[in-house]
Amino acid sequence: MRKDRCTRGKGTASAVPNGDAFGWRSALALRFPALKELRGFSRKAFSCALLSVAILTFLAADSSPARVNNLGHRMMCVCGCNQILLECNHVGCSYSDRMREELVAAVDRGDNDDMTLQWFVQKYGTTVIAAPTNQGFNRVAWIIPYLVLALGIVMTAVIVRAWRSKPLLAHPAAVQPATGPDLDRFRAQAQRETDL
Amino acid sequence: MTALLFCAMLTIAALLYIFYLPGTLRLGPEKTRLSYLRERKDAVYENLRDLNFDYKAGKLPEADYQSMKSSLEEEAASILSEMERIQQNAALRATKIKTTRTIR
Amino acid sequence: MSQIGSFALLLALALAAYSFLGGLFALWQKGPVSERVGETARRAGIATFAVIFLAALVLVTCAFLNDFSIAYIYHHSNRDLPAPYKFATLWSGQEGSLLFWSLLLSAYGFVLRLRYKTDPRLFAYASVVIAAVQIFFLLLLNFAAHPFALMQGSLPDDGTGLNPLLQYPEMVIHPPMLYLGYVGFTIPFAFALGALAMRYPGEKWIHITRRWTMVTWGFLTCGIFLGMHWAYSVLGWGGYWGWDPVENASLMPWLTGTAFLHSVMMQEKRGMLKTWNMWLIFSTFMLSIFGTMLTRSGLVSSVHAFAQSSIGDWFVAFLGIIFVVCLVLYLLNHKHLRSEHKLESLVSRESSFLFNNLLLLVACFTVLWGTLFPKISEWVQGTKVTVGAPFFNRVNIPVALLLLLLTAIGPLLAWRRTSLESLRRNFMFPLIGALIVGSILVAFGMKPWQDQSYFYSLMTIMLAVMVALTVISEFVRGGRVIGRHTGQNIFASMWQLARRNTRRYGGYIVHFGVVVIVIGFAGSAFNQDAEKEMSFGDKLTIGPYTLVCETYTEDDNANYGSQWAVMQVYKRGAKIATMTPERRFYKASQQTSTMVANRSTLAEDLYVVYEGQNQDTGRPIIKVYLNPLVMWIWIGVWIILAGTILAMIPNEQAQAVAARVAAPARLAQAEPVGAGD
Repeated sequence: MRKDRCTRGKGTASAVPNGDAFGWRSALALRFPALKELRGFSRKAFSCALLSVAILTFLAADSSPARVNNLGHRMMCVCGCNQILLECNHVGCSYSDRMREELVAAVDRGDNDDMTLQWFVQKYGTTVIAAPTNQGFNRVAWIIPYLVLALGIVMTAVIVRAWRSKPLLAHPAAVQPATGPDLDRFRAQAQRETDL
Repeated sequence: MTALLFCAMLTIAALLYIFYLPGTLRLGPEKTRLSYLRERKDAVYENLRDLNFDYKAGKLPEADYQSMKSSLEEEAASILSEMERIQQNAALRATKIKTTRTIR
Repeated sequence: MSQIGSFALLLALALAAYSFLGGLFALWQKGPVSERVGETARRAGIATFAVIFLAALVLVTCAFLNDFSIAYIYHHSNRDLPAPYKFATLWSGQEGSLLFWSLLLSAYGFVLRLRYKTDPRLFAYASVVIAAVQIFFLLLLNFAAHPFALMQGSLPDDGTGLNPLLQYPEMVIHPPMLYLGYVGFTIPFAFALGALAMRYPGEKWIHITRRWTMVTWGFLTCGIFLGMHWAYSVLGWGGYWGWDPVENASLMPWLTGTAFLHSVMMQEKRGMLKTWNMWLIFSTFMLSIFGTMLTRSGLVSSVHAFAQSSIGDWFVAFLGIIFVVCLVLYLLNHKHLRSEHKLESLVSRESSFLFNNLLLLVACFTVLWGTLFPKISEWVQGTKVTVGAPFFNRVNIPVALLLLLLTAIGPLLAWRRTSLESLRRNFMFPLIGALIVGSILVAFGMKPWQDQSYFYSLMTIMLAVMVALTVISEFVRGGRVIGRHTGQNIFASMWQLARRNTRRYGGYIVHFGVVVIVIGFAGSAFNQDAEKEMSFGDKLTIGPYTLVCETYTEDDNANYGSQWAVMQVYKRGAKIATMTPERRFYKASQQTSTMVANRSTLAEDLYVVYEGQNQDTGRPIIKVYLNPLVMWIWIGVWIILAGTILAMIPNEQAQAVAARVAAPARLAQAEPVGAGD
């Protein structure tokens, strides 16, 4: 059942920096198509942007094992184990082995990331992608948390402002402020009793 | 059969524990204004002590310290003065009762 | 045996019902009769514990006696299961774990009802709330998920065994810890609801519940991290957190509970945020019920979840009832939750707590949202989607970093308002320290512009350093003041400082533990792995390590058969260890599981998995992970625990003061608080 694995390539073990434990690099790759939109900018801005993007992604999209690693962390094993494809470790899991081979094949074919993922979606259904895509209703999944954060910050700011400006409603058990000679006497007492 | 017997004994034991000589649950008096004030005083005192401590630790500039200290002390003073009023009233009432008794 | 268990459950239900109704009557009616009824209700609550304990004891005994006529025992145990795991059958399936929930709740209730003299009225209210929650679980046990249900048809000879993933020492303590955490949030909830119902004057109830909340939080923290450690050492995928719905279920009440622990200080010290805190603890409790539901009802698919069952409806109904009760009591009594002080400045400890709460709640919401989104998507667009680790990491890491920033700043802000001068004075040292560490890391090759994950790692470590320096500066400054007074050296002074204000300095130690953990998390950006089919003498190199396969062995016992590899480990040419990754095949359940060999050091874990044999060549496959800094996570948890325990010890000063002020309680009989209307 278990034949060649992506990271094993041609029989030799290769240590792939698996820097995507938190999916950061994949997140970056998602934004990669944005490069196309840069055409309208001035040449200078374009080359600056290109340079910085190239630097940022030079680890993300170089060799094919790295691409396999990246894509493999953006998909799930569909056997029902709920694990990321490259982290599924059941012996004899008939899905993950086959899927990994398919992934390596796709990368070797030279398919780009989108095509590869699309191929997997066609074959295994939408649940194969590990996180919601950025299209249609699925975009809501990404927007809502940020929206809630933004709304929360605004709400907190509004509440803070309201608190600072509005007078307090009287608490049913409020204490009357002390006045006159009492005030000084008791202040002195408080001072005495709390001195370190 | 033994199971049945055991269940019966269990029930009886539980009922005995619950209902035999249970005494009373004293919920105690409603909390008085005075004890409420005492708690408030403790809280304000703690804030004051913390403030003093932070000042001595060099966390607060002099101006901040003085203004916060005075407002906390005012709060403490209000509480202390109400506490004293309540205690005086209570003492007054106690002496009144005493005097009426001695007159009789 | 099973009849005794079934009967005990019924009896417990009757006792809990009596404890609830009797307690309610005693609170509602005044007079000598109701006082007697109140006492019997309290005792009924205590007896509930004894009877539920008996039921649990019967179930465990049946596991030990191999009584497979009980369906639950048949499904979760077998004859050759080692004894400690027979104990674990109690919480390894749906019915058993509900019984366990109920048992722990009654145990908490037992302690509470014994200690009722602290504040009899408040405790009576709390006892009624607990009895109500208890009734729900006992109804569930008696009528929806009966643990003593009998097998139909002919008696099987042997059970199908405990899930092999659960046959690991930590699995014996992880669920109890987690459950103690989940269940424990019932206690602060009960006190809060009770305080609201009785219009408790003042904030003393928070003082009373504080320790309960901290114990609960400590248990939940332990439970979560034990689960992580278990996942790391048993599941064998080289990670510790997979954002599984069940993991999320435990994280959510932890996040709101953490928020509560912080914001409650504002209520205690300044009489602010009372409404907010009330709802925070209500939601924490509802989330822990919701978490139990997620685990138990099969609402979302998960490795941990059990088969689809009808008990989800019960939970939904229960959650609805809780919400309505909380809402009604709130609407009736919200006047008493009015704030006593105004927020004076945006730059103050108060507002830092507000933002801390905001971030924790946003994190909690994100987790909830991600967990439920597959369901939502199914309803809205008819297609299922997966919401896995990439989503949660991407959304939560920025929030976590902001939270870490607040952890660094918050303790340095003064209550009420902080001037720029004071900010500069306190913040300079941690900020400079963080910048120095950051530039050293960049100089040593951690280039944040190379990869987003490096950027996040660098930020994490810099912020962590900042938090650590904040904590250290707080200790040193406080220690100096004490030292000036007493003439002790700085360490003795710092110790005395911690003893004087255990909660504050215990809290700082917890922050320090979080720092250590977060550094461990940041290490994961630099994980490596390698995999190879290895026969005798083959070598595999990863980082500075070389593994040489020496031999393969097999073994067999009644419970499982196992295969393992013996690997020699060399680091830069010198032999440093022998490692034996193992794979087991459990006979009763016909399932395999891995036993990871892990060589853990402060710098990195060398984590070796025996993945199985290539069916064609017969050669074993070995997968090796090199995970930096993982040990820091486990060390951090110990620090957090130490801090939590310190925070639970009463202050030295407070003890002395309490002894002095015990006297003038006699005058306190007169006027009731003006808050009675």
